[in-house]
Amino acid sequence: MANQTLKLGGGLPQDGDAICVMKAGKLRFMKPNKYWVESSQKRYVPSAGDNVLGVVVDTKPENFLVDIKGPALAFLPVLSFEGGTRRNIPKFEVGTLLYVRVVSANTGMNPELTCMDANGKAAEYGVLKEGYMFESSTGLSRALLSSPPHPVLEGLGKKLSFEIAVGINGRFWVNASQSSTVILVGNAIQKSESLSLVQQKIYLEKLLKSIQ
Amino acid sequence: MEQRLANTLIMTVNEKKFIENALVSDIRVDGRRPFDYRNLTIRFGSEDGSSEVQLGKTQVLAFVTGQLVQPYRDRPNEGSFAIYTEFSPMADPSFEPGRPGDSAIELGRIVDRGLRESRAVDTESLCVIAGKVVWSIRIDLHIIDNGGNLVDAANIAALAALSTFRRPECTVGGEDGQELTIHPPDVREPLPLILHHFPVAVTFGFIGKENIVKAGGDGVLQSVIMQCLRIASVKAGDITSKIKNAVESYNTQRSLRKIKRHNPSSAVSNVAKHHTVREPNSQSVDTNALRASQPSCATPVDKLNEESTQVNPETKSTQQSSDMNSSASTHEVTDIGSPEKQSNTLKDAVKPKHKRRKKSTSNVNAN
Repeated sequence: MANQTLKLGGGLPQDGDAICVMKAGKLRFMKPNKYWVESSQKRYVPSAGDNVLGVVVDTKPENFLVDIKGPALAFLPVLSFEGGTRRNIPKFEVGTLLYVRVVSANTGMNPELTCMDANGKAAEYGVLKEGYMFESSTGLSRALLSSPPHPVLEGLGKKLSFEIAVGINGRFWVNASQSSTVILVGNAIQKSESLSLVQQKIYLEKLLKSIQ
Repeated sequence: MEQRLANTLIMTVNEKKFIENALVSDIRVDGRRPFDYRNLTIRFGSEDGSSEVQLGKTQVLAFVTGQLVQPYRDRPNEGSFAIYTEFSPMADPSFEPGRPGDSAIELGRIVDRGLRESRAVDTESLCVIAGKVVWSIRIDLHIIDNGGNLVDAANIAALAALSTFRRPECTVGGEDGQELTIHPPDVREPLPLILHHFPVAVTFGFIGKENIVKAGGDGVLQSVIMQCLRIASVKAGDITSKIKNAVESYNTQRSLRKIKRHNPSSAVSNVAKHHTVREPNSQSVDTNALRASQPSCATPVDKLNEESTQVNPETKSTQQSSDMNSSASTHEVTDIGSPEKQSNTLKDAVKPKHKRRKKSTSNVNAN
């Protein structure tokens, strides 16, 4: 066995010489040397670079206080918008839904958010209007964002037209021209979490048949 | 700076608008119509008095236990019951471990009032020695998944658990009538609680201003309430029958288990084995079987049930489980009434039996 430095991610603390497992979940490996345990939970632990859905709970002179389903409220500076100056601070009422990016998240401190991408452009960040926000687990959020698209998402997208924004913090937002479509899409995605791939295909077929 | 922990639900404006719009077309966020109930499943644990209720995504566990305590001074003839609720943090990010919060206490009080003020649980039957010893029943409700409507689910769980709970039988004896013997479950069949009726909770949510109050319109308000009452009574009947069916199938399974749980290897010469469905080949039904075998109460075969001498020997050689079942159920009814016969040979056979068994188990534990 060649000597190898391993990078241990979440759920794999090192106890002297041995590596132990602290979380329940799937052991994942990424080349060349990263290991971590991936689990699906209801709670979200903020980390930098994540795209999340936040809800405004309060406004302060310097920041908006935004709930992102983490242990503490996050701060969104009032100037973190494209072309943001002191003169055109957006007015968000309590309960506004935002698509934001986590800039920094250290334990013990409130996480910091921004509505701009790395280049300072708005990208797709900002207020989400209309539609409905559904809760999910962190595992489902990751599955919805994964590279071969989620089968239920893909299948529904072929037949129905809707808009969707997925936050890695266990929230996703769906909008469509009709309320029934939104409800259908949201519930289908939520239900598909506990189904295997084959079951998902069957569920999707049944669902689409019942629409027509 | 604010370090507020994850709090109760914060509604987005999108959600509010959407829910109201959808309700106009009679559809709810999870696809239900306004008066649809979610799927209700009632399951029971391996012990008497433990139930698990699933209402859609909501899951509640209930455990009922009993203890002998001194009664309250002003109610010397009545037992008591108390409800404890625990909102597990795994149910919802807003639940904190430790002392129950406001909503936990409120849930406990609603369930408690439903049972207490309707006098559903018969507390007088819980009295053992008036003024000295009574049963105190404790109902523990654990919320393990919060999908909404905890009150209904917790209520059903409490009722289901109370229906299957069994308490040990106690007899009062001795010279002055004050000596209390508590019979262990394998000696005397434990008794169920007496429940007079089932108080079922049905929760309604009023959304939007139009449904609740119309200026100057008492009539509208009353008709809405009447409609809710009608729906609730139908729903309550539905739920009660579901609980009763679940409890019945649990009781049948329980009595079946009591028959089959028979260890042939620990037989004593005085005691006869009796046929079980699993052992069609055992030939050990001798004349002593008349004395010994009683399917429903005997968990170990060496437990000698004295009343068996009076019951017909039809029980001993049944090969079909249905036969056993009927005899078991009839026997359960007679068992509560008939007294224990004490004859020398039987008693002597019992005592060394138990000692031997205890020794063997302690040896196993030591190893």
